[in-house]
Amino acid sequence: MAVTTISRRRLLTTGGALALAGGLAAACGSNTGRGGGGSKVRLSQWYHQYGEAGTEQAVERYARAYKDAEVKVQWRPGDYDQQTAAALLTSSGPDVFEANGPTLDQIRGGQVADLTDLVQGVRDDFHPAALKPKIWDGRVWAVPQVIDTQLLYYRKSLLEKAGVRPPRTLDELVDAAKRLTDARVKGLFLGNDGGAGVLGGTPLYAAGLSLVTDDGRAGFDDPAAARALAKVRQLYADKSLLLGAPADWSDPAALIQGLTAMQWSGLWALPQIQKALGSDFGVLPFPADGPSGRPAVPVGAYGSAVSTRSGQRDAAKAFVKWLWVDRTDYQEDFALSYGFHIPSRLSLAAKAGKLKEGAAAEVVRFTADHGYAQPLLWTVASRTAYQDALSRIIKGGADPESELRSALRTTEAELRRVQKKS
Amino acid sequence: MNRDMGDALIRVGRALRLVLLLALAVLFLVPFYLLLRNGLASEADITAPGWTFFPRELRWSNLRELFDDPSVPMAHALLNSALIAVATTLGTLLLASLAGYGLARIPYRRANAVFYAILGTLMVPAAVTFVPSFVLVSSLGWVSSLRGLIVPTLFSAFACFVFRQYFLGFPRELEDAAQVDGLGPWRTYWRVVVPNTRPVFASVGVIVFIGAWNAFLWPLVIGQDRDAWTVQVALSTFTTAQSVNMHELFVAAAVSILPLLLVFLLLQRYIVAGVERTGIDG
Amino acid sequence: MAASGSTRRRATPRERNQTLWFWVFVGPFAVGLVLFTYVPLAWSVWLSFFDARNTVSPTHFVGFGNYTAVLGDAAFRDALGTFAVFTAFIVPATYALSLALALAVGRLRRARAFFRSVFFLPTACSYVVAALIWKLSLFNGVRFGLANTVLGWFGADQVAWLSTTDPPWYWLVLVTVRLWLQTGFYMVLFLAGLQRIPPRLYEAAAMDGARPGWQTFRHITFPALRATSVAVVLLLVINAFQAFDEFYNLLSDARGYPPYARPPLVYLYYTALGQEQNLGLGSAGAVVLALIIAVATVLQARWFGLGRREEA
Repeated sequence: MAVTTISRRRLLTTGGALALAGGLAAACGSNTGRGGGGSKVRLSQWYHQYGEAGTEQAVERYARAYKDAEVKVQWRPGDYDQQTAAALLTSSGPDVFEANGPTLDQIRGGQVADLTDLVQGVRDDFHPAALKPKIWDGRVWAVPQVIDTQLLYYRKSLLEKAGVRPPRTLDELVDAAKRLTDARVKGLFLGNDGGAGVLGGTPLYAAGLSLVTDDGRAGFDDPAAARALAKVRQLYADKSLLLGAPADWSDPAALIQGLTAMQWSGLWALPQIQKALGSDFGVLPFPADGPSGRPAVPVGAYGSAVSTRSGQRDAAKAFVKWLWVDRTDYQEDFALSYGFHIPSRLSLAAKAGKLKEGAAAEVVRFTADHGYAQPLLWTVASRTAYQDALSRIIKGGADPESELRSALRTTEAELRRVQKKS
Repeated sequence: MNRDMGDALIRVGRALRLVLLLALAVLFLVPFYLLLRNGLASEADITAPGWTFFPRELRWSNLRELFDDPSVPMAHALLNSALIAVATTLGTLLLASLAGYGLARIPYRRANAVFYAILGTLMVPAAVTFVPSFVLVSSLGWVSSLRGLIVPTLFSAFACFVFRQYFLGFPRELEDAAQVDGLGPWRTYWRVVVPNTRPVFASVGVIVFIGAWNAFLWPLVIGQDRDAWTVQVALSTFTTAQSVNMHELFVAAAVSILPLLLVFLLLQRYIVAGVERTGIDG
Repeated sequence: MAASGSTRRRATPRERNQTLWFWVFVGPFAVGLVLFTYVPLAWSVWLSFFDARNTVSPTHFVGFGNYTAVLGDAAFRDALGTFAVFTAFIVPATYALSLALALAVGRLRRARAFFRSVFFLPTACSYVVAALIWKLSLFNGVRFGLANTVLGWFGADQVAWLSTTDPPWYWLVLVTVRLWLQTGFYMVLFLAGLQRIPPRLYEAAAMDGARPGWQTFRHITFPALRATSVAVVLLLVINAFQAFDEFYNLLSDARGYPPYARPPLVYLYYTALGQEQNLGLGSAGAVVLALIIAVATVLQARWFGLGRREEA
């Protein structure tokens, strides 16, 4: 079916191009071939599946509005990072794609194009936390689209009923989750894996540490790391965590359906939660732990990148510049009209009315104060090793110190590998 | 002396066996029940506390909702799966039966070497080579295309082996008669051998068809684009996706097994025969 | 062995002619097999000696580096361990259940076709569909899951079946899903095996005073099913080795895969084709796995004397 529609469309455009070329030839007496109005460059653009209704239609609208190329949007549910990684090996992959990266190895392997020129002049307008992980060797490898903040939502009424105040420290969180748990409702939802996947380095940052330091060394070689992770394990051991819910942490369904009193999720879920719960909810950063701790707010920035396998690299770059640099109106619409995301441009974030009131304003404030992004040097192999360790600590009750030591070994080897030649 | 008691024991044993079988049969049917129950319920009914054995109202509209939902390309995925399963079945039957016949009947000095080279691949399951196969198929530019999904799976050493064994046991007289009539190997094969060996084609075909319809790893690796999704990949993607719409997923799953249930009901005889061949030939 | 003496002639043109015909029949299949099985295997072996990250045409030769890395990777060894545990569960369980069902169904006078169909029907389902039912409805971790509902009737707590590693409830989910899917298939194999046992064996046994039931089974039925048993065990082990579908669909999420219950193919999938894109390491792992399974198959075949069966 798709085959026939595509070929029909191709037939039409080719026909149009021929007619137009004929017309041009008649008018000007010559035809330079490319650049004839009808034979547009075709670009394919990939997005991961956003959970919020309307987003897919929005990005398709933007793509249609672009005049210099015919952009085909692909909406890709499932393990998006895996899909893009595999597709970049082949020339049948996307021209333009959003990436929760790109990863350092994708940059080093020359799989993504240098986009430094695109952000020239507006580089300072991008939120530094969002732009920093896109920079390697002083060059920019992706244009940040929006800032995704993760945070803790809680049901005010349930906390009041249990006589619990919103937790300000990790110890209070452990205690609150335990007291909020009863036979029907769990205290806290950190994802179906008990938090290993979504928390990542957040407890480390909450303990005043980091994944990779600014000077490129492992940032969790410290006893405080094991102490913080042991408390996350405590949550699991207390049976305070909701596990095995049909929808995972990124979807606010568990909180809305009343399966849990608190849930770790994203700012994008705020409109849905607001609609379902009215004012019966509050927001918090991941609470601080220990004397040198501070609240932690993980921010992710999906960036728009261009594949070097693309046959139309220049056209792809031009499109990225048009959508993610020039069209600030679309950027604002994309960030705020469906789920909530903080625009990656400081100038847009400053004037976004929806982010100035209520819970959203609070989130914006603590994101500004405590936001951290995964460093680019945090490679996939390091992440896998650390996540495996975290999962074993949380669920298996493995000794945090020895688990962290083995993750540390992998991380140090990876850091040596990627910093060797550059 | 205690023959009566023995008889009674046997009867009790028989009754017990029947009860156990019935209990097991019910257990085996539970997943089908869940498929129907959740597929025809509203989301609220599924997630409601307390179990309702059947939804208060059967929502056949879930079906329409499924096919109307633009974010779940179910119709397209069904079409892909059907195309892939049919093409794989026909292609495998053609290639493997020809090869099996050649190996069984046409004398050739190195026939044994060829046979063992084919047999050897049985020892390295296709699943283990999916990484290099992906590399190969991607360098051919076949990722996310029906070609990439079909062609590499057509060369089933197992099917070839089954055909060879079957043709070895096929009486030679018919072919000899055909040869006397002046038919060459090609025409002998098509006019004499194939029409007389339909059951083996049916059973291998059905087994291959089921395998192709239910295949997951290869379509997952190769069918990256939504346009190339098979039913299995579509279902899996939405099981692991960010937000889950349960009633739609279950009705989709129910729809996805319908074609095979039909095949099962109509062709069970051949399937059973096919399974038996699988076992005999290991 | 196919060439019987009567058709073989010394005449060279005829032989040449037959060689041609042989390749007309076997050629297309052989070419495809070489292209889609042998070439990838060779390519894989080649890749395994290179530092091939994010590329399939690497230039940096690393010798056996990938092999030492993959064998030294605790995750890879865990994957082999997972396979061992899974095999230890699933092979005896499927074997016993399918044999028991075959014996029970085979002896039924009435409703035999009905029971056979019921137990065989799950074979029509894919692992994806079954995993979906198991994960989202039967064994989901919340109160509207069927297993938790049943536990609730007895006042027990909810169990997060797939997320609990202590005790490892996820094995219950993984084993039952496969048991449900494949038991019927092997039951049919055993039914066929049972039918091939000559009735005179039983008559003779009865004359010798063997009582029906355990004794007959122990001394007649079970030995007579030897060939079927060997085939069933071989198939079960090979299939367990290839486990991917239900593991992936039950346990993976948008963020990856947990560190437990990660069978070899899932490990390979994430290492080579996941975001890590370490194709050198993944290829080395694939080669190691291929070697293991080839050796295991040969050993098993030797052990059971599979070669002898063909002559019998």
